[in-house]
Amino acid sequence: MVKIIVNGVQREVQAPGDTPLLYVLRNDLQLSGPQFGCGLAQCGACSVLIDGKEIRSCVTPISTITANQEITTLEGLPARWAKQKGLSAAEAEDTLHPVQQAWIEEQTPLCGFCQSGMMIVATELLESNPNPTTAQIKGAFTTSGPSPHLCRCGSYTAIIDAVKHAAVIMAKGGK
Amino acid sequence: MAILNEEPVNVCTATLSRRQFVKTGGALVVGIAFVGPSLLKAQGFQAPKVTGAPFKNSLDPTQLSSWIEIHPDNTVLIRTGKSDFGQGSTFTAYRQIVADELSVSFESITTVVAGHTDQTPDGSGAFDFLGRGTPNIRKAAAYTYQALLDLASRRLNVPKDQLTAKDGVFSGGGKTISYGDLVKDQQLKLTIPVSGDLTGIMGLTVEGDPPMKPVSAYTIIGKSHPNSVITSKVTAKETWATDIRLPGMLHGRMVHPKTLGSTLVSVGQLDKSKSPNSQVVVKGNLVGVVAPTEWEAIQASQQVASATKWTEWKGLPGNEKLYDSLRKESDWNTAQVTKSDANKGDVPAALASAHKKLSATYHFPFMKHAPIGPTLAVADVNPEGTVHIHTHNQNPQALRGEIATMLGTTPDRIIVHTHPGAGHYGRSNGGNSGAEDDAVILSQAVGKPVRVQWMRAEDLQWSTQSPAAFADVEFALDEKGRVTGYQIDHYMPAFQDDRPIGAILAGLPTMPAPGGGGSGFTSSTANFWSDPWSYDLIPNVAERGHGTFQVGQKASPLAVGLRDHSMRTPGQYQQNYPRELAFSEAAALAGADAIQFRIDHAKEERLINVLKQVRDASGWDTRPSPRPHAVSTGSTPVRGRGVSAMFRSETYWACVCEIAVTPSTGAIAVERYTIAVDPGIVVNPAQLKRQVEGGAMMGISHALYEEAMFDESGITSRDWNTYPIAKMTDTPEIKVVLIHNPKVGAYGGGSEAANALAAPAVAAALQDATGKVLRRLPLKRAYVQALLKT
Repeated sequence: MVKIIVNGVQREVQAPGDTPLLYVLRNDLQLSGPQFGCGLAQCGACSVLIDGKEIRSCVTPISTITANQEITTLEGLPARWAKQKGLSAAEAEDTLHPVQQAWIEEQTPLCGFCQSGMMIVATELLESNPNPTTAQIKGAFTTSGPSPHLCRCGSYTAIIDAVKHAAVIMAKGGK
Repeated sequence: MAILNEEPVNVCTATLSRRQFVKTGGALVVGIAFVGPSLLKAQGFQAPKVTGAPFKNSLDPTQLSSWIEIHPDNTVLIRTGKSDFGQGSTFTAYRQIVADELSVSFESITTVVAGHTDQTPDGSGAFDFLGRGTPNIRKAAAYTYQALLDLASRRLNVPKDQLTAKDGVFSGGGKTISYGDLVKDQQLKLTIPVSGDLTGIMGLTVEGDPPMKPVSAYTIIGKSHPNSVITSKVTAKETWATDIRLPGMLHGRMVHPKTLGSTLVSVGQLDKSKSPNSQVVVKGNLVGVVAPTEWEAIQASQQVASATKWTEWKGLPGNEKLYDSLRKESDWNTAQVTKSDANKGDVPAALASAHKKLSATYHFPFMKHAPIGPTLAVADVNPEGTVHIHTHNQNPQALRGEIATMLGTTPDRIIVHTHPGAGHYGRSNGGNSGAEDDAVILSQAVGKPVRVQWMRAEDLQWSTQSPAAFADVEFALDEKGRVTGYQIDHYMPAFQDDRPIGAILAGLPTMPAPGGGGSGFTSSTANFWSDPWSYDLIPNVAERGHGTFQVGQKASPLAVGLRDHSMRTPGQYQQNYPRELAFSEAAALAGADAIQFRIDHAKEERLINVLKQVRDASGWDTRPSPRPHAVSTGSTPVRGRGVSAMFRSETYWACVCEIAVTPSTGAIAVERYTIAVDPGIVVNPAQLKRQVEGGAMMGISHALYEEAMFDESGITSRDWNTYPIAKMTDTPEIKVVLIHNPKVGAYGGGSEAANALAAPAVAAALQDATGKVLRRLPLKRAYVQALLKT
């Protein structure tokens, strides 16, 4: 039995301690945001936040996650934003994280398989740098993590557009 | 409920019949009538004699299932066999096209059904969505509109030519009626003519010529409607293929052979102390492991793999000898030499009398489709013989045929469900994406649903690849620098092998290997003509295509070798790259500007226009290449620019790449990328712009990085370090010029071509910057560095 906090909720899972977090999130907790892309921490499709910092869930054994660490997946972004803005439960229900809103308004995904990981990095970036330059955005998606975040469809321009748009939404406090 | 025997009405060769009154609801349903005897050509399956009666688990024209449904509440449902692989067309362009043909709002098309073989009509692959202006769904909508018009005219007693339609309401003669009211309380069936082969690569085609809306009447085409599936993906509401879990399902992993020619010697013993719930499945040379949990399946498969013994095999030339081997050791007489329809005049005479000549060979590597998520599938083989497959596949109807062939059964027993997943860029457009046949074999063996997920290395090493190629080019120039003769000989192995790899390993039946006697263009080793000629003012032209077997196909005891498959802009990529790079070289030889040189040899106004537009938008300075003071040494970046052009799927394209190259390291950065696109009518500007940007970026990735590495035994590219692709830091400033050209009267495709434009333009830019030409792809550091040292 392993206890982990995922998207603000404490969960108990029956899985060997060496099981990578990705399989626990997808198979035990039925979350569909993080995807299996390489299993090697080389692409970023599986990225989630642990205490606000991006990690690659495909190579992170659940035994290395402590009981008080907060895991955030794509599913948890709206609640994360609602909590940061102090929104009521009712308001939080129909709120999207500005990153998600920007991703929709910029029509960013093509196949979309990598985009959960991309939105996780965008969230991490904007929480520490609310107004990043193009060079800073490129750096965050390429050199800051264990590997570059890869998009095979080539949506990088659309991602840069969306991160800048999300920064504007966040500066306005949402919407 | 009364049956009404009303005479069917002929609607532009379709048939409208009123089948019965219903107490509530009602609908106009557009169904299928098959023409011709070739509905089903899948191996071992006899097409029914009675036309209009397709087989079980397909849409049946006698049932409430169809292309389009008009509902009493004025909403519309559409069905398409084409599933989305990131092009977005089914959720944007298709709704816009249907909305304009039907004169309904975009929003009234509330449902798009795609991706399930038992719920969609037409098959074919996730490519060529816009059907060169007339996709099936457009014709189906045009027939539907004619039927509605007919109904309205009779109901209102107003002649058809006095009726107008808007937002799902007919008006005329002082009367109005909505589409919903026209169909209310009755079951109307419109039967439209179709032909083709449901499980073939091209699927079914809607026949006939119903009147279609003139371009001037479009109100929805041309607007940037958003893609609904983007919202579900971004908000984690989508059900991806990776999310499918069936009751009692086991997780499977494959243990692939050591080489592309290895056969099984002995299967490794499963360590039950570590993997107590796992089971090994062996069938011929196919080895798989199943377990209740994914992590146990992964660990057990790795443990079994380490203890499994295979024969050795060395039958491939390896990267370094590839082009030598292709030229000298391949049999280029396996298929007829193809010739383009541009061939004319006397090229040898032009070459003999040339003032200047260019003679060069260009090399194009094997590239991987490299979806960002490896192939996976869930299969459930029921004891009574019905097989359900959940997957992410560009041609699910073709997969039915392939699985039926493998199992020795008929396609009616196979039901394929396609869910969203990682883009395949053509790899599964012939029906198999890799894991489906594995999953079926394992499910059949263990009697439970099995989910097979390939790992990253398997997806690079056991999948098909875009074929390598080379081309010999000859240019003849006169004293004025005009081209008097052009000759190109293209050499490329068979480009599409749709045999499922699991079936091959298991020794189960498949379609023949390319060149093995199968019918259809994908079964041939011929090198088909794919790059339409653009330079009509050249008087003497000879273009030839030479084909052969796949590399290693004949030598491998598994008959596998380097299996090829069409990839985004297939064939045309291999043909256009040498042509366009050679054109830039010929311009340099002539002392001419590379864009003006193209314009001076072109007649087609749309091509000339995209070249002018890309010239203006990129700020191109007209001058010959190489640039003045071109430099090929030193550690200071030098800059250059290049151009390329293409005509594909009724769309004209041109791009300009501006690069910085550091001679000492060979590193190239594409700094600015400008692309002009004339597809005729632009259906959805925002979506097209995103498609073009993505294609451009993939093209930069191909140009700078991509080459499938292999040794004498198999592919050695096994991850993203050994098969690098472009990163966000490789993103240039991309400028997209969309040219809305309504006088063309049709809309061309926008999801291909862009990925093929960068390579010849970047190579020309390298020549512009340094004065030296690299006639091979990719333009990776080591190759560029080696070139500049010479």
